[in-house]
Amino acid sequence: MTMPGMRLHRALMLCATIALLFACLVYITYAANLIAFPYDYDQGEGFELRDTALLSQFTLPYLDTETYPFYSSNYPPLFHMLAAPFVWFFGPAYWYGRLLGFAASLLIAAAVAHAVYRDGHQNRWIALLAGLAFLSSNFVYHIGPLFRQNIMMVAFETLAVVVLAKAFPRSDKRGITLALFFLLCAGYTKQLAAITALAAIIWMFLRGPRRALLCTLGFGLAGGLVFLWLNLASGGQWWTQAIVANVNDFLYDQAVGLFRLWFGLHGFLLVPALLLVVVEMYADRLSIYSIWFLATAALGGISAGTWGAGDSYLVTSIAAACILSGILFSRMLANAWRPSRILQALPLARIASVSLLLVPALYLGYARATLKMPTAGEFAPLAQLLGIERNVAFHTRQDEPDFYDSASWTAGGYARIGYFLTEADHAAGAQIVARIQQTDKPVLSEDAGFSIAAGRDVVTNPTQLRNLYLAGQFVGDELARMIEYQEFGLIILRAQFFPPHILEAMGQAYYHRETLFMNGFDYLLLFPRPGYEPRVAS
Amino acid sequence: MRLLCILCLQRFTAPAAESILRAMNAEGAGITKRQLGMILLVGGIIGFCAILAIDIVDVGREGGIGPAQTLALVAMALAALAGLALLPLGDAPA
Repeated sequence: MTMPGMRLHRALMLCATIALLFACLVYITYAANLIAFPYDYDQGEGFELRDTALLSQFTLPYLDTETYPFYSSNYPPLFHMLAAPFVWFFGPAYWYGRLLGFAASLLIAAAVAHAVYRDGHQNRWIALLAGLAFLSSNFVYHIGPLFRQNIMMVAFETLAVVVLAKAFPRSDKRGITLALFFLLCAGYTKQLAAITALAAIIWMFLRGPRRALLCTLGFGLAGGLVFLWLNLASGGQWWTQAIVANVNDFLYDQAVGLFRLWFGLHGFLLVPALLLVVVEMYADRLSIYSIWFLATAALGGISAGTWGAGDSYLVTSIAAACILSGILFSRMLANAWRPSRILQALPLARIASVSLLLVPALYLGYARATLKMPTAGEFAPLAQLLGIERNVAFHTRQDEPDFYDSASWTAGGYARIGYFLTEADHAAGAQIVARIQQTDKPVLSEDAGFSIAAGRDVVTNPTQLRNLYLAGQFVGDELARMIEYQEFGLIILRAQFFPPHILEAMGQAYYHRETLFMNGFDYLLLFPRPGYEPRVAS
Repeated sequence: MRLLCILCLQRFTAPAAESILRAMNAEGAGITKRQLGMILLVGGIIGFCAILAIDIVDVGREGGIGPAQTLALVAMALAALAGLALLPLGDAPA
């Protein structure tokens, strides 16, 4: 490559770095905005906080949902255990859970960069771009700074894979044990990590079947013992709440829609990642990253199609794609390949020359494909300069939010979040809490955050009750009776995920008096219907 | 008929199982490209037949081969083809 060519390469690399750093800046600003918000942002955050509070009192959150407060968790406990010490010092609050999630996303980006640097060709710049590319993903942006366990699971998975990639071929027992420990941590953060565990076992089997068998036995035994302990300690509720209740309907359109979106947003890196898989398959040895990518893309994508799932289920595959594409780009730029008859047939020197322009161009294309940013406030002048206009809308307010998302909120299962919260959202949350404080009776709220802020019991976990009901594991007589007898001073609904007979009881004994708009949703406030006669015996 | 099916299945799976067992006994050795090819080929064919068999076994099902089933069939066919292409690569490590 000539000097002007090298200069152009560096200039394009600089542009790609600036573009991805801008995405990182938007992400950090969004995280800071969200961390300061004291109520639910994403559906379910409040229940994760409730689990954390219970575990901080050394109580397992797998409880009987037939008795007051009709609450149970459906997630493994590790993420909440990590957040539990914060409860001892600061009480129940959202900020530390969101901060942990955000920190986990940064840790993944660092692990991605490290893997690309170590297993590619020690190209620092590509390693940096690969790490930034992970943070630039719309899917990562969504879930990173939430009080949800998904990103922590991906962090443990990524650490496990990156450690195992080096340790297993060297028979480094300490490294293998550490990797399997991370994998176990991922599994007890969220059940979805079973896919990464499967990928790791398959790869170990390819590299050394006998050692793989021994590792799998040890891993299975450790995981099985924890499982058994959780089930015994919760009186069998762990099995019902975390396993049985997690089997949901498969929605084909949602799965296909999310697959298309996943490819549309990340195609600039997914195609190179797939290319490296093919190269490794036929001209090199299959790396753990390739098996991990294929497994998490295929099985994670299918899992994303289940009710209640979404784009977050594909985040692990994005981490794998960032590593694979980074390694491919590093090798292309350095023209460093294992000797292979198949590769020798290719014009590798010319490919290396072309890649000087192609690689930064791909990262630039990726930065544009995953662009998301506010279009108002401090970002307004830049949005105008870039010709970016708001392209998303809330369900009930078509003129909000002032936000551009290249994913455009059209695919089912894609979380409609990412916009920045305003003073009005804070004020609306405070208003709902004030309504709770006006009654001395228990309050049934579909988002737990308001009850927590008001210092009241968290009553029910609606999605969990729905799932249990569909699995034939929830009757709800006592909850229906309490609603009939108007024992709740207030009912707050957001998505109305409760089982049909519970919603029907609410509709009979309570009436809708007020709607408060917060955080993109209409919160319906239901008050006891005056003069209502209960239909069931006490 | 049932016996014939089992014999056919054995004809396919025996070489793959044999080569895997050989690799299991060899300390430190990994799976070869040929062995991986066999696993993918046999797995793809069995998976393809099993997906088709859903309609034969579950006669009461309506609508024939659905979109999810079609995707699964394509995935199995691709796995088998990828395996077939690996066979000529011989003893190179997978």
